[in-house]
Amino acid sequence: MSVAAPPIAASEDMPEADKRDLWFCWWVLPFFYSFFGLIFVLLTHVMPPPSPHKTDEQITAFFHAHGTTIQIGFAILMVVIGGSGILNGFVAYEMKRMSVTPVFAYTYIATLAVGAIPGCLMCAFSFLVASFRPDRDPHIVAMLYDVALLTFVGSLGCFAAQYLTLGIAILLDKNEIFPKWFAYVSFWNVITELLAAPVFVFKKGPFSWNGAISFWEGTVIFVIYLNCFILLLRKAVQDQRAGEVVQD
Amino acid sequence: MAAETAMSPSARRLPGDVNMWVFVLGDMVFFGAYFVIFMYYRTRQQDMFLLSQRHLSLASGVVNTLFLLASSWFVARAVQAVRDDMHERALRLVAAGGGFGVAFVALKIHEWYALAHHGFKLSTNDFFMFYFALTAIHVFHVLLGMFVLGFVGRELRRADLRRAWVVEAGATYWHMVDLIWVVLFAILYVMR
Repeated sequence: MSVAAPPIAASEDMPEADKRDLWFCWWVLPFFYSFFGLIFVLLTHVMPPPSPHKTDEQITAFFHAHGTTIQIGFAILMVVIGGSGILNGFVAYEMKRMSVTPVFAYTYIATLAVGAIPGCLMCAFSFLVASFRPDRDPHIVAMLYDVALLTFVGSLGCFAAQYLTLGIAILLDKNEIFPKWFAYVSFWNVITELLAAPVFVFKKGPFSWNGAISFWEGTVIFVIYLNCFILLLRKAVQDQRAGEVVQD
Repeated sequence: MAAETAMSPSARRLPGDVNMWVFVLGDMVFFGAYFVIFMYYRTRQQDMFLLSQRHLSLASGVVNTLFLLASSWFVARAVQAVRDDMHERALRLVAAGGGFGVAFVALKIHEWYALAHHGFKLSTNDFFMFYFALTAIHVFHVLLGMFVLGFVGRELRRADLRRAWVVEAGATYWHMVDLIWVVLFAILYVMR
């Protein structure tokens, strides 16, 4: 940790103009997640997930019924998905203000960059492919449905690593960029991610991809985490002093 | 905050660290939700749950409960030893607590192996689904606890550290792991 940043020296508040870029990054957060909610909940019906217990014919009917909104929703996603890059960079910047090695920030970016593929994009493309020709053999449409929802709910390793990285960095950090309790809120998500593992086995019950434990409890904890994180990132930008040295 | 309050041991204060209490209380709420969901499914298929329960080894469950209770007792004694500035003794007590934690995990793995050998797995029925998933997530907490106790041990070995609140925070977490197991043991092995 020889490259760790020195503790923040108290000095006068940074002039507001110097933080314009950081405030831009912060405002991407509420916009990005509002779009995320609009797309995944209202338009494409991925959240809350439809049942894994449907027959092939019911799945084909699902794509006939929601094909248009799926196409509109995921077309919007293809545009706004770039916002996740801005957010990862922003969080990584705040992590580099910590007294820990920047390896934590790089790990954070890497886990989410890889995680976005199964956790978001594979689902979008599978639903788009299914809606593109919904008159295909129902077996094939059903496979696309399974691919979409298994990857969306079951892609847990990268996200567990992300929450663990963020939490450990916060606990080790001496610059108090984020409060320590938030590290533990982050750790809760590690546990709920691990409990999504049984979705590959069950087609109904609490551990299926729309189950009370594998989906609902994890989602409730994620929403608590996300709201805390948005507010704490706002405070981190507010509290940054002028002349603070941030690690390369 | 906790470090400041630790300066005045005579004053009434929260043991350990308020941030750890956020984690522990939150985690207990979430485990509480798992237990409620378990009870919901159990009520709907009570006969099947009772029949499946007979395949669990009550003896293993009892021994594992004793392991964790003993472990918690050693860790609680370690907290007392630290408060009396007996750091060598505290380190030995934490090591004993960790030893019982390892024994718990070893017996649990043996129990899983024996059940799997008899053909019981996650997808056998709803009882075994809950049994394997809930005990696995608890073992994950125990393994995390090994890491926490290791961190406490490092704190005790270094004369420049030895902060009582760190030892208390570690003990807070470890007691939660114990408490959750006692409830799991009751609802999985014992409840008729």
